[in-house]
Amino acid sequence: MAAFVKRYGSLFGMLAIVVVFWIALPDTFMTARNLLNISQQVAMLTVVAVTMTLVMVTGDFDLSVGSMASLAAVVAAVLFTRDWPLGAALAVALAAGVAGGIANGFLVAVLGILPFVATLATLTMFSGAAFVFSGGKTIFGRDIPQALSDFARAGLPLGTAGDKPLLLPALTLVALGMTALVWLLLEQTTYGRRLYAIGGNAEAARMAGVRVRLLRLSAFAVTGFGASLAGLMYMARVASANPVQGDGLMLSAIAAVFLGMTVTRDGQPHVLATVAGVLTLGVLDNGLTQLQVDSYVRQVLVGAIILAAVSSSAIGRKALRLR
Amino acid sequence: MPHLRVTDLEKSFGAARALDRAALDLRGGEVHALMGENGAGKSTLIRILAGLEQADAGRVTLDDVPLRLGSPDAARAAGFRFLHQELHVIPALGVAENMHLSHPYPLRFGLVDWPALRAAAAKALGRLGAGHIDPSAPMGELGAGDQMLVRIAATLLPEPATRATTPAPWAYVFDEPTASLTGDEAARLFAAIARLKADGAGILYVSHRMDEVMALADRITVLRDGAHVATRNRAVTSRDEIIHDMTGRAMADLFPPHVRHADEPVLTVRDLSAPGLSGVGFDLARGEILGLAGLSGAGRGAVLRALIGDLPRRGHLNLDGTDLADTPAGAWAQGVAYVPRERRSQGVMLARALGETIALPHLARLSTRFGLLRHRAQAALVRHLAHEVRLKASGPAQPVAELSGGNQQKVLFARALAGQPRVLLLDEPTRGVDVGAKFDIYALIRRMAESGTGVIVASSDLVELIGLCTRVAVMDRGRIAAILPTEGLTEAALLTACYGKEG
Amino acid sequence: MLSNLTRRGFAGSLVLATAISTLGQAAWAEGEKIAVITPYLSQPGTQFYVEAFQARAKELGWEVNVIDTAGDVAAVISRMEDVATQGADAIVLNVDPAQVGAGLDAAAAANIPVFGMDAGADPRIKANITSNGYAMAAETSVYVANRIGGAGNVVMFVFDAFPPVQVRGAIADAVFKNHPDITVLDRVTPDVSDGGIADSRAKMEAILQANPEPGSIKAVWAAWDQPALGALQAIEAAGRQNEGIVITGIDANPQARDAIAAGGNFEASVAQDFTGIGTTTADTVARVLKGEELKANVIYVPTKLVTAANAKE
Repeated sequence: MAAFVKRYGSLFGMLAIVVVFWIALPDTFMTARNLLNISQQVAMLTVVAVTMTLVMVTGDFDLSVGSMASLAAVVAAVLFTRDWPLGAALAVALAAGVAGGIANGFLVAVLGILPFVATLATLTMFSGAAFVFSGGKTIFGRDIPQALSDFARAGLPLGTAGDKPLLLPALTLVALGMTALVWLLLEQTTYGRRLYAIGGNAEAARMAGVRVRLLRLSAFAVTGFGASLAGLMYMARVASANPVQGDGLMLSAIAAVFLGMTVTRDGQPHVLATVAGVLTLGVLDNGLTQLQVDSYVRQVLVGAIILAAVSSSAIGRKALRLR
Repeated sequence: MPHLRVTDLEKSFGAARALDRAALDLRGGEVHALMGENGAGKSTLIRILAGLEQADAGRVTLDDVPLRLGSPDAARAAGFRFLHQELHVIPALGVAENMHLSHPYPLRFGLVDWPALRAAAAKALGRLGAGHIDPSAPMGELGAGDQMLVRIAATLLPEPATRATTPAPWAYVFDEPTASLTGDEAARLFAAIARLKADGAGILYVSHRMDEVMALADRITVLRDGAHVATRNRAVTSRDEIIHDMTGRAMADLFPPHVRHADEPVLTVRDLSAPGLSGVGFDLARGEILGLAGLSGAGRGAVLRALIGDLPRRGHLNLDGTDLADTPAGAWAQGVAYVPRERRSQGVMLARALGETIALPHLARLSTRFGLLRHRAQAALVRHLAHEVRLKASGPAQPVAELSGGNQQKVLFARALAGQPRVLLLDEPTRGVDVGAKFDIYALIRRMAESGTGVIVASSDLVELIGLCTRVAVMDRGRIAAILPTEGLTEAALLTACYGKEG
Repeated sequence: MLSNLTRRGFAGSLVLATAISTLGQAAWAEGEKIAVITPYLSQPGTQFYVEAFQARAKELGWEVNVIDTAGDVAAVISRMEDVATQGADAIVLNVDPAQVGAGLDAAAAANIPVFGMDAGADPRIKANITSNGYAMAAETSVYVANRIGGAGNVVMFVFDAFPPVQVRGAIADAVFKNHPDITVLDRVTPDVSDGGIADSRAKMEAILQANPEPGSIKAVWAAWDQPALGALQAIEAAGRQNEGIVITGIDANPQARDAIAAGGNFEASVAQDFTGIGTTTADTVARVLKGEELKANVIYVPTKLVTAANAKE
């Protein structure tokens, strides 16, 4: 019984949260429109968190994703003001994300700096760079191509609810695509299995012929790509770019991965579990806002729920001990 | 002299019977070895003495007075002290402070009296013959052997006046103490044990290492399947008799017969230099089992690490006509398999499914052209290999951490077997492995050799080298001093060769 | 035992969530539900008008939910969508509407009126309640023209790249052009990356250097306070504070108020009425909820000229 609770306790907790909102908000919560809204609201966080899962699988983590998201948006926006074509500007921003990720990977995997220290330093550098490129200003209005904000409001028609059309939002589709890609990479390819091996015992993996440095570095590169993609999605949603707008993504992404780890059997990060963590955070924000819970109380509650989930599954402690 | 007597001890875990009328007696002033295969009940017996488990039935007396155990405090009050192979030390604190972790610090005016603290530590270390250890050095700078000496010395600190009723420690339980020690460190430990014994302490010594037991013990108690088999006087028993007690098998049966191998070399090594090695050269024939002997630090393990590409190296290394790759990834890809000495830190992934550890080096073969993993092929390979090595586990998903030492080693062998390696490198293949699993492992090594794999075994167990190998290369300070055929080689002759000019 | 405890902890937080939700529901049964959404609650100006809004809302018996997204503009959109789903009666925004278009669409689809509290204009916003930038610039430029008797050389500090400030410069241009004897000596755009004071000071020092004759510069008109403070520093450093050069700024920030109260060259600025913006926003929401159609979609709250006489207020 105790083992059952430990294994499935936080999964039931997540479902219970949904049920509570369903009961408290009978007319508005469990509607197709609201669920699609939630999916769109968490789209950026999903992209950051699933790619963050990759580095956390190897036992590392990346604090710089938030400021990388801000930096990527600023880079693209500055290029727009210089009349670069849409595709080229986006490509450069994504390349900046990959380059930043490689830099993180080099510091951690090759130079052997602790991920906390290395990515804390690059967090500061990326953030500073975003301020330098933007001059500290918000870039918005005509400088941001209309096509981008149109994309963020577009979607696949799913039918109608009442008299209005229901759309599967484009941002949700991007998040789904990225989730599928990382899931494939982690669970279905040898690349992913080697990452899990590194997380299990890096030294043993090296002795068994795994290219540990290269793989750790590559995981950071993917995470950097995800961060910059999320930054561009953010820019499309708000039709503007400023040097701090993505910073909040980092803590939420790490929280989502940890929440996800509480529902997995082996206590390791997994993509679908991370998505469950992201949805838990998104549902909490959505439901508590609808219930008119004060925004500061909401923050305290979200933190308390993360702690409760992690301690009831005892994953946090077990994972530490076995490493 | 105190006299601890344990009789008719019973303990079951669910349906599994761990102890079945186990018995043991320990007197002050003796070293008493406790032997038995894994699962024979040694650890359960020790855990009951330490108060970590409750016996179901049985009698424990100290000087004929019944002893109530059942908590670590009770064990401590009875004068027992336990020294495990994995020590709990605080690397950043000094030696003297580590020794005082469960003792009050000496105070002066309510502040720590540092000179007194160090003096007390130095005095206790001196009593143990460990005066070379600086009480103010950080614990983390000490080797594993010195750390163990510090832990032992801590038990010699005088009890404070407030705890005057606590009896002085008299019984020391060592559980595989030399598992992570070098030869010199082990020698110092043995000297310290001799001093404790001379002071009247009783030592209960649990070890798989026959050499140590035969050198150190006064009496030997053997358990098998939870029951007491025999207690023998070291002076009048023999290895063969002890092994027979433990296994019901004679020692001659432990090693399968030698087979002939081809002369055609699979691996040639010339002028191999690496940190700790210089000018090493030898040929390994297809199907040959080559031993690497030598004192601790002579470079046995370094040869294997250089071959797999873990150490930076120079020299001409040729595998079947091509240059040997200089990274572990490259070497595995060329068909070189390696079972490292540090099983837990360098071999297995403790928290993860054993199937993952087995499949890891072979993932490239288990995937499609696009890198997608073929789950079914992986599961089939793992099942097949687990069967080959007679792995005792509940299934491929069982975490490695839940397996015994012998079965963890079999996991590493299983993965080395996959894909028929051309060369198999084994570093201390039976370290920390019980006798039954040892036999399985020897048979496996033989079978690999018969199928044409060239095997190199580095080992500190001379009997193992003689029994298993066709030739033994004796290492001395990073060089090969001699390569001896094992036909007719005696343990004494090999040991003499290891000591070389020093001996 | 341990897992038991932690299980209870998790269950406990759920109970808490339920309790809070029922409290929230009980509260919303009465009165209109108004959501105030801002990413900038911690900024001083925002706090003033949000507090004034809440005070008036209490008198009107509304249930106000103030949502602070701590700088996250995308979260403003998300919370607007949530509030639209929940079915609030009105949304009050304090962020540039151009950045939250998706949220405005969600509110429009749910027929929820959106109001701007010093936000910016947008066709989807019923009304934006703010200060009149044209009027503020007119106040200070007319003050300058009158003080120098409608004649002499004037230095202007402007920033045309930022629309709300560009408006101010345009008005000042018109006022000075309307006095034939006033000449605009220089129209300076300072570098604002360090706040604007330092570069304005450097630019002003160069202008003073080029015009060494006393009386060759009659006044400095700045579109906001920082360049005015920089110009004041330059004039004092050059030792020309007794030539009667008149300086004006706009916004009346605390540093500017100090300088004005000191009675030096910096003579005037204009203060926005933050409390008035909050109160007027609430009144405007009330009018719309009663069914009134607004004619203008920008509502200006009067501003006040700050001089040495009232700078300490």
